[in-house]
Amino acid sequence: MVMWLLAALAGFRPESAESQADDRECLRRLAAGDREAAAPLYDRHARAVYSLVLRIVDDEADAEDVVQDVFTQAWRQASRYDPARGPVAAWLLVMARTRAIDKLRARRARSGPQPAEDERAIETLPAAGFDAADVLVGAEQARQVQRALGELPLLQRIAIELAYYEGLTQREIAERLEEPLGTVKTRIRLGLLKLRESLAEET
Amino acid sequence: MSAHDDIKGQAGAYVLGSLDDEERRAFEAHVSACGECASEVRAFQRVSAALGMGVAQRTPPAGLRDRVLAAVGGTPTRDWAVWLPVAAMLVLTIAMGIYAARLQVRVEGLEARLNNALAQVAAADQLVADSRRVAGELQSAMGVLAAPDLARIDLAGQAAAPSARARALWSRARGMVFTASNLPPLPSGRVYQVWVVAGAAPISAGLLMPDASGGGMVYFNTPPDIPAPRAIAVTLEPAGGLPAPTGAFYLMGAPAAL
Repeated sequence: MVMWLLAALAGFRPESAESQADDRECLRRLAAGDREAAAPLYDRHARAVYSLVLRIVDDEADAEDVVQDVFTQAWRQASRYDPARGPVAAWLLVMARTRAIDKLRARRARSGPQPAEDERAIETLPAAGFDAADVLVGAEQARQVQRALGELPLLQRIAIELAYYEGLTQREIAERLEEPLGTVKTRIRLGLLKLRESLAEET
Repeated sequence: MSAHDDIKGQAGAYVLGSLDDEERRAFEAHVSACGECASEVRAFQRVSAALGMGVAQRTPPAGLRDRVLAAVGGTPTRDWAVWLPVAAMLVLTIAMGIYAARLQVRVEGLEARLNNALAQVAAADQLVADSRRVAGELQSAMGVLAAPDLARIDLAGQAAAPSARARALWSRARGMVFTASNLPPLPSGRVYQVWVVAGAAPISAGLLMPDASGGGMVYFNTPPDIPAPRAIAVTLEPAGGLPAPTGAFYLMGAPAAL
């Protein structure tokens, strides 16, 4: 555990302040009606957004639809982006995950009866405490997060991945695994605390 | 545990979006007035952002960029995109006329370099394929757990390991995830082997090497043509496994009802 943390710390590169400033400038231009600012924004973030969406929806055609929705939403809501909530990359990824899970749930609803979920409003979240150094970029960082997940006890990891990447609620996870809801809640909480600890020691 | 600890304990699940509607509304009402819980949410948002990046990075398809930019309405390349191919072809035609004679010589040199590059690409592809396979297997296991046709089979410890337990989660379409706990440590040169009894003869679903606590997991990508399992068992076999079970039974179970 200590070894990988040290390795992770050495490799964690904060997204450069310059590219974050570029991102904010792109959103400012988009908000002002300059649609051409979408191109540099896409070029910087499409890979991360596409990768997350594809992981969740597991279908290339659906993933392309969702990526298009994410950037269209970013364009429409550019004026609502608040730098105090976190870097643009994190903002895009939150939208990407929300939309991808919506797609997944819509698909599940078509294949069987499932409770409808209303779209979660990102705006209702308290202002996030990201600072510039919190955002990880690139394949190396992806591997480090995967490694942190790999360090979790298997059942905690399964519960967290089912919640995050498959979009299941705690209750759905408990029903699926035929385990008490309290057990699933505990696993998710302990797993997230452990991940938080791993990532927080870097600052 | 106080009522507040209960609520605070929901912060992580809230950030993952895995609360029920009712739980979520209760949490949101509480968090707007509780600084402690709000800071808990902020801390978990960092974890959530990291999870968003913790996936295998894939290059988006080439055509997606144009599609997205057209949807946003920004088409900065349109004006010169029309004449760019024409100009490129004109330049190419002239260049080809002039250099046709020299090309033959260069082609040979380029072919040698190309072959060299192809060999390097093949080696790199192998590395990528290996890591994709590992990631893909875990993702398949997650897919099983999210399958709509999930069935459960619990296995009980046999005489050789009375306290061992295991559970198989079976989806006809997506395969099987098998988790075991409390298995005794392996004797040297031996391995646990998981068997699925579906047709006439048991099929090997994989080898299992338990961790220090006796727990382990096997993902089995079910062949599409086998019927639902009638039983699942674990035996002790020589390292590397065998095509049919020979050793003592450690775990066994059958579906409650199918």
